[in-house]
Amino acid sequence: MSVKLSPPDSPVRRPALGAGSRPRRAGRPGPGVLASFIAPSLVLFLLFVILPVLFAAYVSFFRWNGLGGVPTDFVGLDNFRAMLGDEVFLGDLWRLGLIVVLSILVQLPLAFGLAMLLHQRFPGRTAFRLLFFVPYVLTEAVTAVLFRLVFSPRRGFADSIMANLGIDAQIGWLSDRDIVLFVIFGILTWKFFGFHMILFLAGRQNIPDELYEAAAIDGATGAQAFRSITLPLMGPTVRLIIFLSVIGTVQLFDLVYVLTGGGPFHASETLAITMYEQGFQRGQIGYASALSIAMFLVSLVFALFYQRLVLSRDLKGSLTTAGGNRS
Amino acid sequence: MRNPLGRPKALLAAGAATALALSGAACGDSGESDADITWWHIQNQDPLMSTWQEFADDFGDEHDLSFDVQAIENQSFKDRMGPASQSGDVPDVFHTWGGGVLAEQVEAGLVKDLTGQLDCIDSINPIALEAYTIDGKLYAMPFDAGVVGFWYNIDLFAEAGIEAPPQTWDEFLADVEALKAAGIAPIALAGADQWPGHYYWTYLAMRIVGLDGLEQAAAAGDFSGEGFEQAGDLVAELAALEPFQPGFESASYGEADGQAANMGEGVTAMELMGQWAPQVQRDASGTDGPANLGFFPFPTVEGGAGAGTEWLGGGNGYAVAADAPDEAVEFLCYLMEPENYARAIVDGNLTPVAADTEAVAPDLNADAQKVVEALATATGTQLYLDQAYPPAIGGVINEATEGLILGQITSEDFIEMVNAAWAAEA
Repeated sequence: MSVKLSPPDSPVRRPALGAGSRPRRAGRPGPGVLASFIAPSLVLFLLFVILPVLFAAYVSFFRWNGLGGVPTDFVGLDNFRAMLGDEVFLGDLWRLGLIVVLSILVQLPLAFGLAMLLHQRFPGRTAFRLLFFVPYVLTEAVTAVLFRLVFSPRRGFADSIMANLGIDAQIGWLSDRDIVLFVIFGILTWKFFGFHMILFLAGRQNIPDELYEAAAIDGATGAQAFRSITLPLMGPTVRLIIFLSVIGTVQLFDLVYVLTGGGPFHASETLAITMYEQGFQRGQIGYASALSIAMFLVSLVFALFYQRLVLSRDLKGSLTTAGGNRS
Repeated sequence: MRNPLGRPKALLAAGAATALALSGAACGDSGESDADITWWHIQNQDPLMSTWQEFADDFGDEHDLSFDVQAIENQSFKDRMGPASQSGDVPDVFHTWGGGVLAEQVEAGLVKDLTGQLDCIDSINPIALEAYTIDGKLYAMPFDAGVVGFWYNIDLFAEAGIEAPPQTWDEFLADVEALKAAGIAPIALAGADQWPGHYYWTYLAMRIVGLDGLEQAAAAGDFSGEGFEQAGDLVAELAALEPFQPGFESASYGEADGQAANMGEGVTAMELMGQWAPQVQRDASGTDGPANLGFFPFPTVEGGAGAGTEWLGGGNGYAVAADAPDEAVEFLCYLMEPENYARAIVDGNLTPVAADTEAVAPDLNADAQKVVEALATATGTQLYLDQAYPPAIGGVINEATEGLILGQITSEDFIEMVNAAWAAEA
């Protein structure tokens, strides 16, 4: 979709303003202006993104407690070797995969279904849209504190609901190693389904009504129209949401850290929590840097493959030719 | 005109944007504030929190200094000190437990050497200085010292038919069973915080291999051997009785449904905790705490080398940053002025470190009195392992104890984890 900011040039060239001066191509800033606008953000990007990444990569080859200037104790690939034998790290990857798969199987269909419902016209539709979006507005730390109260063992909201329903089961919502990850997934779903729903809704609204009218004239049923029009045309939105969902899961930290600290005994730990604990609580900055590099690689490899294999159709032109075809 | 910004104007705008962005970045996050003296402490509960603030204000007025006092919760304090130390930007005055963590900060040149700098040194009991003395130099001033033991609800013990607190590990396990039989959760534990759990393993190791055995193991970085394995097995044996309150696995120490609150509300019968426990029981539960609170030493283990009069413990002190103004050192002694210290002892339920306890705390409350007596008759002390050892090893001991308690690892795994941590540190 393109947004037009100004009326198109008239096909008839206007006469030059001043006699003798060369006609200037309007709206094309020269290289000097371009450079002066790009330079500030480039400097900041190099200083605060690229440099720290390179420094982390450098530190990951050292054993270093972070104190006293620069690392000196070079250990080669030891940190990475230790990482591959670290059950917590491998567990983090497993939990990451599990949450991603669950998100795609549960969270996205739920958001999709709700978006389809809320696309229909009925009274109170805006109120519902708003209501479903509200959890996304809360910060993750606040969400975690809230759910700590809900799942508190002795007088938590969850337990009292269960009791009122006549179910007298002691469920260790956050304390049972076998279910804590699913409880966290539930909270993530609660928090993010509204956001995904809004994206789906926007995607749905971009499909022109004419297609459905034409289909109806051809005698297509609602189900046929859904299968042949809605689903294929929602493809770009689905692919984008899966991408956001995976990257968000890789970065998952604050919600889980405040909720469980990654426990009990690593049962809900994420890559970012392992990195944080090794780096800032145990003072093993070298090892933590190796973990951060692993996180970086996981994200990068995923992003590259996903973009090349899945998103390429949707992104064609937007990244590769700098803002679209100029001819 | 399509291009309203002429070139000179555009350059100017870009330049301004750069300047803004860079200056915004420059005044970003810095650990220290503009105040003359920054002070991070963990006395985040009233009345002592307000009292500390008042002392800082008074001292500031007297010396024309501005103070930035931050009362931080225990775990958050540790979380914030890590990055602060790594950035080389520690507060002028900060809380410390001494031991390995302080030693690392000293090695990094972040801490002021207080040897011969404290005018009030003679008013402090020399024993209390040990945890803060590294290579013969003093790096912090203690204001509180105490021991870890079992705080127990005497009424709940009586309800379960237990007349006297247990002396041996076997009696202790029998009492746990008796409490369970009476329908009382025997022990409150903050599983998510890990450090309260590590007291159990440490005490069992102290009772089985003795303080000398523990010291030798730390010196060699090798915790192999039957004694340490038995310590792990006994932790697992205790956990197998399911003695902890429901949901302990995700409980924290000071929250409203945590370890201390369970004790304060009289729901659980005992907790293994330091001298600060009674105060936190009241604060976290919002109650007056158990009507009858008793204190007993960690039980002895049959055939073990350790005695019941050897205590796990430690104190609280304040260290001064290497680049802090001299007034920061003066301020420490201001806190120890008899009148001020006497008030702090009452407000914070501190266990005094004064050379002459009677002078500053003539009528110490009953709970603190129990700890003072335990210290007075102690035949040996051991600093909490997660403070005594470097953070990487202390962290592994905490983590591994959680694993033992949850039945996720064996006592052999425990030893392997701790030894690997020492090997990586050496």
